[in-house]
Amino acid sequence: MIPEWLSSAIVLIPLAAALLAAPLRSAGLAHALAATAMAAATALAVWLAWLIVPTGLSWQGPRLVWLDLGSWALSLGTMVDSQAAIMGVIVCLLATLVLIFNAWYMHDEPLAARFPWQFSFFAFAMLLVVFADNLFLAFVGWELVGLGSYLLIGFWYMKPAVADDPFYQRFKGVRARGVLEHCLSPAHAQLKAFIMNRIGDAGFLLGIGAFLAAGLAAGVRDPLQWSELQRLAAQGMPGSFLGLSGEDLLLLGCLGVFCGAIGKSAQFPLHPWLPDAMQGPTTASSIIHAATMVAAGVYLVARCYPLFPPEALLVVGIIGGFTCLLAATIASVQWDLKATLAYSTVSQLGLMFVGLSAGSEAYGREAGLGHLYAHAMSKCLLFLAAGAVIHAAGGVQDMGRLGGLARRMPLTAIVSLLAVAALIGTPFTTGFFSKDAVLSAALLHAEQRGGWTWLPFALACAGSLLTAFYMVRWWVRIFLGPERQPEITEHAHDPPGWAAAPLVVLALFTLWAPWTVREHGEAVATGHSHAQIAAFSLIGGLIVFAVLTYAPVVRLVSCAGKPRWWQRIFSEHAEQCGFAHGQPSCTVPCGVKTAAAFAPGLLLIPWLLGYVFDSWFAPHGPDPAAAAQYHAMAIAIGLMFTGAATGLIIYWWLPRLGVDTTGFLARHIYPLYNACANLWWIDRAWHALFARGLGEGLGRLSARLDLGDRTRLAALEGAAPWRPRDLASLDGAIDGLGRICARLGAGLAAWHDGRIGAYAALAVGIASLLVIMGVLW
Amino acid sequence: MIGALTWSVLAPLLASVLCLLAGRAARWVALGAMLVPLAVGSAALVSFVRQPGADFRLLESYPWALGAAWTVGVDGIGAALLALTGLVMSIATISAWNEARRPAAYHALVCLLTAAVVTVFTTLDLLVFYIAWEALLLPMLALIGLWGGEQRRYAAIKFFLFTLAGSILMLALVIALWVVQPEATRSFDIRQLAGQWRLWESTSVLGVSLARFGFVAVLLAALVKVPAVPLHTWLPHAHVQAPTAISVILAGILLKLGVYALYRLAWPLFPLQALVFDHWIAVLGVIGILWAAWVALGQQDLKRLVAYASVSHMGFCLLGLAGLTSSGVTGGMVQAITHGLGSPLLFLLVGVVYDRAHHRRIDGFGGLATPMPRFAWALLLASLSGAGLPGLAGFPGEALVLFGSYTAGGWWSWLGALATLSVVLSAAYLLWMLKRVIYGPLRHPEQAAFPDLDAREQAAILPLLLLLLLCGVWPTPLVAALRPACEALITHVTGAP
Repeated sequence: MIPEWLSSAIVLIPLAAALLAAPLRSAGLAHALAATAMAAATALAVWLAWLIVPTGLSWQGPRLVWLDLGSWALSLGTMVDSQAAIMGVIVCLLATLVLIFNAWYMHDEPLAARFPWQFSFFAFAMLLVVFADNLFLAFVGWELVGLGSYLLIGFWYMKPAVADDPFYQRFKGVRARGVLEHCLSPAHAQLKAFIMNRIGDAGFLLGIGAFLAAGLAAGVRDPLQWSELQRLAAQGMPGSFLGLSGEDLLLLGCLGVFCGAIGKSAQFPLHPWLPDAMQGPTTASSIIHAATMVAAGVYLVARCYPLFPPEALLVVGIIGGFTCLLAATIASVQWDLKATLAYSTVSQLGLMFVGLSAGSEAYGREAGLGHLYAHAMSKCLLFLAAGAVIHAAGGVQDMGRLGGLARRMPLTAIVSLLAVAALIGTPFTTGFFSKDAVLSAALLHAEQRGGWTWLPFALACAGSLLTAFYMVRWWVRIFLGPERQPEITEHAHDPPGWAAAPLVVLALFTLWAPWTVREHGEAVATGHSHAQIAAFSLIGGLIVFAVLTYAPVVRLVSCAGKPRWWQRIFSEHAEQCGFAHGQPSCTVPCGVKTAAAFAPGLLLIPWLLGYVFDSWFAPHGPDPAAAAQYHAMAIAIGLMFTGAATGLIIYWWLPRLGVDTTGFLARHIYPLYNACANLWWIDRAWHALFARGLGEGLGRLSARLDLGDRTRLAALEGAAPWRPRDLASLDGAIDGLGRICARLGAGLAAWHDGRIGAYAALAVGIASLLVIMGVLW
Repeated sequence: MIGALTWSVLAPLLASVLCLLAGRAARWVALGAMLVPLAVGSAALVSFVRQPGADFRLLESYPWALGAAWTVGVDGIGAALLALTGLVMSIATISAWNEARRPAAYHALVCLLTAAVVTVFTTLDLLVFYIAWEALLLPMLALIGLWGGEQRRYAAIKFFLFTLAGSILMLALVIALWVVQPEATRSFDIRQLAGQWRLWESTSVLGVSLARFGFVAVLLAALVKVPAVPLHTWLPHAHVQAPTAISVILAGILLKLGVYALYRLAWPLFPLQALVFDHWIAVLGVIGILWAAWVALGQQDLKRLVAYASVSHMGFCLLGLAGLTSSGVTGGMVQAITHGLGSPLLFLLVGVVYDRAHHRRIDGFGGLATPMPRFAWALLLASLSGAGLPGLAGFPGEALVLFGSYTAGGWWSWLGALATLSVVLSAAYLLWMLKRVIYGPLRHPEQAAFPDLDAREQAAILPLLLLLLLCGVWPTPLVAALRPACEALITHVTGAP
């Protein structure tokens, strides 16, 4: 028996905490209050999940009519199913942990007392989206999530733009995140986030419009409720909207909802706000990137899943896959440690959409949501670890200057290694199960449908490969290698006990998460035992662990004796090219040689592994789902292995041998490197087209067309001469009309100035006019 | 026995005389007088919330000459607008508490204006409506022209000419309606006139039906007041030149007169014409929403930006009213009320910085959140409400109008889709303004010493902020009070053919 109040309480407790914490001046008290409230909400959410998830049913909470419009109504209410219950737990749990961590992270921050209430409000808004029982309330929560992110991104609202900020330039590097750094500031980032989200929201509103039109045509009392939406879709969507009806109307509605998701979940082309949002506190990023905000888009698509027709899912998959690869390429060349994580989030969200695009036959919803849950844990942990690193390094977040922190911050290094392992899909971590589920769902879908559905799968594979690469690069650049600037890192230390607790808890969740396994279980519920999967992942895992541990072994060996042959090859190569001495040039053939050495490995290994494992496990029967499952698993492990190994070789092993791989890659694949480092010019295009063009430019132009230019406005009163160009504005033209009337009046006044002759002439004139008119008619 | 509604006209009228005698105490007299319509309006609104209905309440009628009568009464919308008038006028009085230039005359004029506005919102007699409609121009002309900024005469004359030119045809209409009625039952009672609409449909004047002429006359008067693009250019001048309190009144009350005239006169008296013209009115609404939003994006002057935001938001009222769906008309009316809360708040806040900086150039500010945190929060909330954020008053009206257009079928949905763009544009111009004015580092060091909101400013701002939240979070009672009247109107109009 589920208490009536339970779901509402989970939503309203964070709101109450926000309202109570807002007036508090003491940061400690505010954090304690908010964290306690969020912990209480977590407990209730766990209770709710405990009651709901085993039954697998959906539960309708209390409902309230918000606006009654006669034949139909907009209402507030909650509907909880397994996904919502799990998502609720994740939101509350992560919020609690991040608040605890933040109390330490902001211990010397003067504005710290503001954080808890804004953060609790953010969690409240997200929970509203999660539990809403209708599309309208979800939209309300959706917008409030936008407000929460607006406040948190602009937390340090008084910071100047990067161009005027010596602190930023010293610690982060002006070119740390590609272009447009000069105008980046919290105030800029919060504005950008809000407006880009609003562009998505406009589409969302149109999606609501499509369902509303259908619902009203069908005479439904509460047309936006989830259950009604499904019924409408099943009825073939009566009514019409924007000239569409039937299946087209359903497609419009679903794409509208997805349009909102593109904004919130930072998919191409609305993704640039998310990396900019790094201007907020790192702890705020950890929740934005994990449980709230970006998760909202994926979650909402999953919530509306039964509505989505295959065409809409294909769009979801292609946009998701494209974003996955695009963001992964950018993440691979970032030097700001938070920016790497930010683009990684964009990329992973794309992967979730690829999973969702697989359709319910291929368990796409479970795959996408499973990856959402697993990613939430590891990304939240990564951002908290990043916060610890930035805190330890006194604000430096440039991976070119950090390094070797593993010795000074062992705990942070270990937990973030676990998070990296989970994110890239190492076996035995939650990320493995979820990423595998996504790829297998996409593969199965592609095999069943063929055609364009292969595209999301291929893009997701490429993205996964790069994910392993750049995440290893991220971890290696920060925690391994020499301390590049010892004066930055010499005082580095792990967070103290209670602040480290959230890290440890999250690290445990990257290894084991009941919900992920559950979703995975559904995804592979095609007649194959978990033992097989476990055995399979064990083999893959052994390979990966071998590689990961291989590097330290090599190091020991190389210290002990003379260099091994591979070391000689690379050292000699390095000598030849002059890298070892810091000389900048290298011949083209050298680059070709290196590429030729890498490329077959990159391409072959996944397919090789796939072939091997397939031949081991495939003979179990003709079930295509099972075959896809194994293919995908092999491919996932292969991709992860290849990417991670490449990352290790380029960023850890070769540099140890004295090869400047970074410079080498930058020089030899310069066009590609340049494109990635310039964020594929998308941010620049947005800035030029929308901010400068449609916003500022067209705004100025229309302002001028409306009231005229500044000169005219300054000279409205008084005897300024009339200028013909004033006619080019609406107001000027109206004044021109007035001027003509005034002139006419002045001219006619000459006939009324008291001279008898004038009156006589006027009288005669008018009389003759009348006579002429009379004669003519 | 004089009833409550007559008192809410008489109180400000008497107060305007008393103000002149009271000297320095004029502000207290004025404030006291404003509380009468506020109390009466609120009580009426509560009665409509408790017992929703499309009927007129607090009815009084005293016969006058020529078939005209002092007939007053309010339906849900009249009650809400009456309460809004009392509220906005009180707040405007508080915000002009320290008016130094001839305070007695100033407050007397504001009281006179209040009396005229309250008459418009409560009267059910066409002749009285017209007289009050024109009468309120004079105090407004004086208030802008005497207490305004540097270009006050230009702005005041422009305001006067635009609105006068718009409503001059209404006089002809009033006379024509009197003439065509049968002598025995001649009346100016709007309810009775609404029942006789077939009479002017069948009467022809200069080749067009009297109904068409009358509809255009009322429409023109209303569109200038609303204001609808392209008849809006008086508004930015009037707002920029008017003192803060007058801008508050202008945005909060006077713009609503246009919407109210459409609701009270144009639609009921000429239902067939409304059905003919509604597409065009909706198109004007959408043009207004988008054009004004884009012009607002290009503004350098804080007050002018808020003025254009006002024009853009009022476009939703037109779109909603013209759509003739329950959601659209109710939404348009809700938008009119909530805009009457949000826009005055923005003007008050602009006034706050103007009082400190003595200029309104957006690029002359920056980082004001540091010295003035309370001001910054208030401006943030007011702007978010203007940007239609759920939970604040700007949202329900806009959402209902949009939903109304989406569901009205045919090409109404295209109009709704175009109007949807405003969710992006309104966020862009308002939040971009926030970025430049309150966020970022302090750009002008002398502004570090700006004091935060003082007690008087807070007294003016807080009630509006609270109502903004209330109407955003729980607009249910407001909608319940407004909807029956709106639905009665829809039935009247759509049942006409």
